[in-house]
Amino acid sequence: MQATVMTATLRGVDALPVEVQADVTSGLPMFGIVGLGDAAVQEAKERVRSAVRAAGLEFPNARVIINLAPAPLRKHGTGFDLPIALAILAATRQIPSSVIEGSTAVGELALDGSVRAVPGMLAHAYAASRSGLDLLGPSAAMSAAAVVGCVRCRVVDHVTTLRQGEIDPRYPCCDVSVEPHGRPDLADVAGHHAAKRALEIAAAGGHNLLLVGPPGSGKTMLARRLGGILPPLNDDERMTTALVHSVAGIDERPALAGIRPFRAPHHSTSTVGLIGGGTPPRPGEVSLAHNGVLFLDELAEFGPATLQAMRQPMEDGTISLVRADGRVRYPAAFTLIGAMNPCPCGYLGDAEHRCTCSQPMIDRYTARIGGPLLDRIDMRIRVDRIDPGKILREDCEEEPSAEIAQRVISAIAFAGSRPPTRTLSGARLLEACRPQRAARSTLETLARTVGMSGRAVTRTLRVARTIADLDAQDSVCCDHILEAAGYRMSDVR
Amino acid sequence: MKAIEKWEIVLNDDLYPELLRQTSDPPERLYGFGDPGLLGPALAVIGARKATPYGLTCASRFAGWAASNGVTIVSGGAIGCDMAAHNAALISEGETVAVLGCGADVDYPQQASTLLAGLRRSHAVVSEVPWGTPPQRWAFSRRNRIIAGLSLAVLVVEAGLPSGTFGTADHALAAGRDVLAVPGSIFAPECKGSNRLIAQGCSPVTCESELRDALISVGFLLGSATADDGSSSAPLSDPILIALRSNPMRPDDLAFHLRQDIVSIGRALTRLELQGALVRMRDGRYSVRKPE
Repeated sequence: MQATVMTATLRGVDALPVEVQADVTSGLPMFGIVGLGDAAVQEAKERVRSAVRAAGLEFPNARVIINLAPAPLRKHGTGFDLPIALAILAATRQIPSSVIEGSTAVGELALDGSVRAVPGMLAHAYAASRSGLDLLGPSAAMSAAAVVGCVRCRVVDHVTTLRQGEIDPRYPCCDVSVEPHGRPDLADVAGHHAAKRALEIAAAGGHNLLLVGPPGSGKTMLARRLGGILPPLNDDERMTTALVHSVAGIDERPALAGIRPFRAPHHSTSTVGLIGGGTPPRPGEVSLAHNGVLFLDELAEFGPATLQAMRQPMEDGTISLVRADGRVRYPAAFTLIGAMNPCPCGYLGDAEHRCTCSQPMIDRYTARIGGPLLDRIDMRIRVDRIDPGKILREDCEEEPSAEIAQRVISAIAFAGSRPPTRTLSGARLLEACRPQRAARSTLETLARTVGMSGRAVTRTLRVARTIADLDAQDSVCCDHILEAAGYRMSDVR
Repeated sequence: MKAIEKWEIVLNDDLYPELLRQTSDPPERLYGFGDPGLLGPALAVIGARKATPYGLTCASRFAGWAASNGVTIVSGGAIGCDMAAHNAALISEGETVAVLGCGADVDYPQQASTLLAGLRRSHAVVSEVPWGTPPQRWAFSRRNRIIAGLSLAVLVVEAGLPSGTFGTADHALAAGRDVLAVPGSIFAPECKGSNRLIAQGCSPVTCESELRDALISVGFLLGSATADDGSSSAPLSDPILIALRSNPMRPDDLAFHLRQDIVSIGRALTRLELQGALVRMRDGRYSVRKPE
């Protein structure tokens, strides 16, 4: 007696179709799973056996062989529990074949027979929509299917449901709403107008920004408030970001509600943690920050190799992890916000404290970031401690985040259907910028005087384009170039 | 290329500089390159390593003027004000001597290696520690007493507090030499030491004629030099340049003082920087390139 159930296994953000074939024959009782499953797949035997019995169904006292096809593909995770149980029950005629026909199943079983969600439900829903099958799984499958749309859902929250025979496919409706949690507001930060302007530009154009300043000057405070002025994700971005989050097993609802991710890993993060990896390769922080912000506080304290590993995804917007059993590609289009001290003691250039570092110490410290990474950072800004009088004064009105966010949204609306500025280069960038003659010659002079690389010129022009968007100007003028170059020229040291 | 001649002179040698011998703790032996005859009466021009554009400009302006009027400039060959003083003396074709804290044949700091090579060839580089001695912290404060000892007067252009520069001034006062100081902004930590010296009674130097008077009073120049007091320089008109003239500032502070928004200040600063009127300091403050 044989039966086949469709399911899928995750590879990167894709769910690849897998057939679960069950063969129940007479012979010495045994239960075997073949087809390159990992330890979690092997452990499914115990969960399936207990769950089936707990639901009042019969686990066959016979020779049970499960094959996961295509056999050469490595399979991992606990999502095979439900499909395996379904295949056995169908093969022993305990459930009608109509339950499993035309569907792809996914779900983890508990010993009491309840069905649990697994990471990557969204990817499974996508796979179902691509192959035109219904998604069979726990109620979490419902919300995932609702996001993808045009996928019917058969909900099985407990194995006992299967005893009723038919399961009605439903078109899911489910609205994603997250409670608005209090976000820190830029109005709480007194002064720092230059830095706030830089944050506004970074939010509007997705430009990388480095904040340099002595301890306690407000770098972290400023950076953490960037989340409040970021524009909402558009529909495409919402999907790709939520997909990565879903696969990584973190809550994808904020992304689905349009909130851009803001990731702030600690500086002890490993290279694999930052860019992704492991078996199977999981997305790293750069991918979890896709379409959002990756905030690296104390940038110079990160491992040098870890920092340098970000160079390629910063340029390409994706990361390819190549391992012995193949290649996985994760999206990684993030905005890097870094914060660091100007020197090891932290007080170089501070008005009150005296810096105790020697020149070689300062040089070594800044060399940890390195020229190539620095070249990819569009804006650098000095953040200094402000006068205590300014912090304590009550009458000074600081602009709230909502107002800045409004300007950012208008800038993006002004840019309209143009591809995102951060992806433009060469002729397409020039066409988008339409620089006036004076602006062109200013940039040329700047590039010569400061010795800008080709990439630096491109990136300066992109920042200038964003500034022009904020000014609602069609063409980039001299002032925009000057402001953009001002952010790049400042020495980190 | 001809090998540069090294020499060693001991305390009772005829060539041993008389001024240095008169001090309380003269070195037993001097190791050097170049012309030992240059170790005569000199003007020391010293200042901070981490100098601001203001300090660098003052060092090169006064060292250049004194050197062009025949005064030998002594300094420590360090980066910052010292290098600016040596370079200014070279540009005005005067004489200059570097006193090192490491061996006279050691290139330290590395940024000064070209300068030191030139000085060994056609001026003088001297040290009290033997050939090849690597730089050691204690040697530099000892070296400062030689700089003071070789000079009739010491001009301090920019000194923090505490600092090695301040120590040299102490040595000079102990040896009975004149100490002159260029005043700086009262807000600048880089100028605390030099301003303190003035408060303690050192003569302030704010223009060439004051420097000339001070040099004449210790026996230099014999009244022959003409001073350009710098009054011919064009007045500054840009409000940003005027605001930055006395004290380097950050864009935020500048915007606050001039009551302008940060965006237009930022753009104007980059424009002025591009024109060469401003320099951005390492700490993010802006300073006028020629504070005159």
